[in-house]
Formats: sequence, C-alpha cells, structure tokens
Amino acid sequence: MSAITLRGIRKSYPNGPQILHGIDLDIREGEFIVIVGPSGCGKSTLLRLIAGLDREAEGDILISDRRVNALPPRDRDIAMIFQNYALYPHMTVRDNIAFGLELRRMPKAQRRAKAEAVAEVLQLTPFLDRKPGALSGGQRQRVAMGRAMARDTSIFLMDEPLSNLDNALRVALRTEIKDLHRQLGATIVYVTHDQTEALSLADRIAVLKGGHLQQFDTPDAIYDRPANMFVAGFLGQPAINFVPGEALGRSPHLTAGLRPEMLRLHASQPDGTSVQGRILMSEMSGAEVLIRCETTLGTMSVTCPRKALPPHTASFWIGYDANDALWFDTATGTRVAG
Amino acid sequence: MRRDALALIAGLIFLSPVLYSIWMSFQTSDAYYTGGMEFTIDNYVRAIGQFGFARYLLNSVIVSGVVTLAGLMVAVMAAFAFARFSFRGGNLLFGAVVATLMIPSHISLIPNYLTLAKAGLLDSYAGLILPAVANGFAAFFLRQYIRGIPVALDEAAYMDGATPLQVLWRVIVPIARPAILSMGLFIFIGEWNNYIWPLIATGDKDLYTLQVGLARLYRINPGEGFLDWPLIMAASTITLLPVLAGFLLVERHLVRGITMGAVK
Repeated sequence: MSAITLRGIRKSYPNGPQILHGIDLDIREGEFIVIVGPSGCGKSTLLRLIAGLDREAEGDILISDRRVNALPPRDRDIAMIFQNYALYPHMTVRDNIAFGLELRRMPKAQRRAKAEAVAEVLQLTPFLDRKPGALSGGQRQRVAMGRAMARDTSIFLMDEPLSNLDNALRVALRTEIKDLHRQLGATIVYVTHDQTEALSLADRIAVLKGGHLQQFDTPDAIYDRPANMFVAGFLGQPAINFVPGEALGRSPHLTAGLRPEMLRLHASQPDGTSVQGRILMSEMSGAEVLIRCETTLGTMSVTCPRKALPPHTASFWIGYDANDALWFDTATGTRVAG
Repeated sequence: MRRDALALIAGLIFLSPVLYSIWMSFQTSDAYYTGGMEFTIDNYVRAIGQFGFARYLLNSVIVSGVVTLAGLMVAVMAAFAFARFSFRGGNLLFGAVVATLMIPSHISLIPNYLTLAKAGLLDSYAGLILPAVANGFAAFFLRQYIRGIPVALDEAAYMDGATPLQVLWRVIVPIARPAILSMGLFIFIGEWNNYIWPLIATGDKDLYTLQVGLARLYRINPGEGFLDWPLIMAASTITLLPVLAGFLLVERHLVRGITMGAVK
C-alpha cells in the first residue's frame, strides 16, 4: 500500500506565479523520501500541501489510499517538524511533547508517561520541565522531533529541520534521524536544499526545479544516472564538470559530464585522453583535496586523495576516460548515455 | 544617586494630589475647615453607609468587569480572525473597525441611547455594558500583536490536531497574554472612569456607578455654599483604590516577554 500518493499536483497563488506544475509521486510505506531542490522550487509548498496547511491545489493527494485534499491537518494523522522548531514558548518541554496527545484526549497519566518515554529516547529527560527559551538549538530541535514522535503516527513530514543548526550538530542529528527512521519504520518526507542530507538520508530522492519534478529515484541512481544536466549539477559535491562533446571527440550537440572523482591528476602527460591544467585554487578537506584548474576545456574541479597529490608544479595534466562520462543532449539537457 | 533623587521628586509631584486627597479623607470636616488635624474614618463610614457608595462600588465592579471580560473576548476573537484568516471582505471589515477609532465617542451617545431605549435596555446593567463591549481599538491593537506571533506556532498546533479555536485559546492567547492584560487594564480603567454614558443610560440610583455617585455628592451636601471635601475625598479614594489594586496586580505580567525561544 502507498503511504502517500500525489497525482498531478498543481499549485499557484492568487495573482502569483504557478509554484507546482503537475507533480506525481508515489511514496511507499516506511520509505524515507527527500525532496530536494534550489530555493523557490516548490518543495516546501509540496510538503505543506501534503500536511494540509495549504489546501487549495489541483490534483489528488492520497494518504493511505484515502483522498485527503479537503481534510484539515488534524484529520490527516501526520506529524510535522518545522524548520524553525515552532515550539510553544509558554509550555514546558513535557507539555510541548504531550500537547498533541492532550488534544486527542489521551488521559493525563498516559500522556505524561508517553512524553517521558519519548524524552528518554531523545535524551531530553533532564529538560522536561524547562521551557524552550532555556534550551540550545539542538535541544529545541530534539523537542520538535519528540513532539512529532509522541503522536505515534506513521507519516512524518520534515521541513528543513536541520538548517538552523551548526555543522557538527547537523551531522549528529542527521544520524539520529536516520536511526529513528530505522526504529520507527515510519514514512518520512523530508525537505531540504542540502544535497549531502539528501544523498545520506534518502531511500529515494525527488529532485524539483521550478515546480517540475526532475527525477525521483534512489540516491545511487540519481548520482550515477541523473535524468538531466540540472540533476547532475545539483547533486554531487564538488559539482560535476560539464565539457563540450567535441572536446572528447563526440558530437558538438552533446555535453559530457565528468564527476570530479573520475578525473586523475598527473605531473606529466599520461597515456590516453588528457588536458593540461593550471591550478587556480586548492581546498583541503581532510583526506581529500579539491583542486580547481583552468584548462582549455574550461574551469574544472578535480578531487584527489591528499597522499596521491603529485609534487607541486605550476601545471598538471588531467587524465579522463570518455567512457566514464555522462552524456547529455546540450539543447534539452536530457541524459542520453553514460 | 542624583537620578534616583530626581525620580523620587518627580514621583512625589505626580502623587501629591492623590496623597493630599487621601490625607484629607481622614480629617473631620471641622478640623479641615479650621486648619486643625483630627483623624477619623467617619467619612468612609458615611460615604459607604449614608451615601450608597458600597452599591456604586459594586455597580462599577460589575459594569467594568463585564465590559473588560466581554470586550477582551470579542476583541481577541476579532483580532485572531483579522490577523490569521483571509476571507472575502476581510480588509473592508478591518477598515471599518479601524474607522470606528476616528469617531468621537460623544457622537455615538444619542444613537446608542435611542437604540437601547427601543430595546428597553435603559436602566439595566445590559444598557450600561453593551455599548462598550465592541472595542475597535482593542481589536486593532491585538491584531497587530498577534501578527507578530510566528504563524509556524499555529501551524504546529494544527498539525498536533488543534482546531482554530484551540489554536486561539491554547497557543495565541497564552503568548499574547502581556498584550491582552495591558488591553484589559486599559479597557477596565476607561470603563471605570466612564461618566457620561452611565449618567445618561440610567436614572436608577441602584444602578449608579462610582463616577455618577461621586458627581452627585457635590449636589447633596448639607449647608449652602459648603462642600464637605473630606467626605468627597473619602468617596474619591474608594473610587481610586480598586483601580490601583488592579494595576499593581496586573503590572508584573505586563512587562514579561514570553515569546523567547519559540522559534529561532
């Protein structure tokens, strides 16, 4: 059974541009789906439509095979975690977590026990009687997660839940969210503009651009076989290098996509295809070094294990294999081979 | 230190008429007019017993209390609707509410009087209370405050299973409490000090409020050309103290900001 089905979702605001142009998604029970795309692509709007916070859209929204377009959020039985936490400032952590249960008329003792159990899982027990103002950013985000978890629902929506946190905390909470998904077995729809989050968390990724669904597939498939140049360029850090087809001996109507890790740096001209490059900038990121080079094919990014870095010279040779490249139709941007 | 002294002097200047009238209310009339000093609580006993100020106090508490509670209830709901929902004619309706702020209150005296006379509500508590319940300023003020509360909190509550009314009473009202209490105090003091409307809306002595009763004290004093100022000051102090007590009770809530930590 599908947890969430979206059929032909179109959304525009009165006197405003169209935000979504016919989105179709079929989300299976227990899946971790990440909706990713640049700012303004409509990913948060799509999430709000699923939540019921926005209800005016064309198309069908089905939750557990029931059409819910006209239902208010409280009748959809889904929980949501917001980007800015949205904790009730006048309530303690305990009351924040238990508020949804109280609204559903769960007896006091039972909801108290539930809040405490959830707090235990999220290591919030020492803070149960504090108000949100007395918590750190990470703790607040945990409370927001606890509030959603306490509801015992099978669908969670998360709207950029980690974007207000510093990097170390973001990485730590990312792992926690992944663990929670494994423990709860719930369906999660997670919106982010951070491609690292998308690739590391998702069972499947939906890539949006300008209100159009570009691709909906597993992270591996999206990385290895992107549907078009936008998807190839959006996912992958550092970004893929696009090179004109004729530079690799192919049709001028094609563009080659070479991931930085497909390229090899050489101190002297290697066998096979290569291009000479002049170093513009290098960034060390632990075990690897990212090098940006100026070549006759344009500026290219290359990643290279730090220990395999050739001795420092003014210029390098960049070796590549045209067979590794992803090939796109230059006019339409669609991937045609590779 | 010098600033403290200045503040003390300024405070005393503001307080001096009040302190003087309280002091005067504990003097006998003879002592006051002969320049002597003789402490008594007889003025209070007479104001309450002989001149019906206990009844007036009760009336004022009932009228101001109900106007405050009902007025806040109406204003909070109107403010929530104007702040959070877009509906057909909403802007026009809000414009109409704001426009009522520009109408001097005395202009509505006669229409209100005629309306209540036709409804048979003159000389009743309802007649004293109803015209003051719809308060455009309170709706406007609270709407502006509620607009400053992040919508994400409403949305979180909706996701938790709340209805719009539950969002209002369980989320918005507690967060807007400082503003609501300020407005409540404002409405209460305004109604407590209201003289004109109770004067024209009732001729029944049992429905007089403190302000009307106080004004009548000038006319029912014994002796020609003689005003019993200590008695009037005792009645004034009775009029003043509940408002002062109310202010001291609410004041600590007014200054506490509680939205801290709601959203990043």
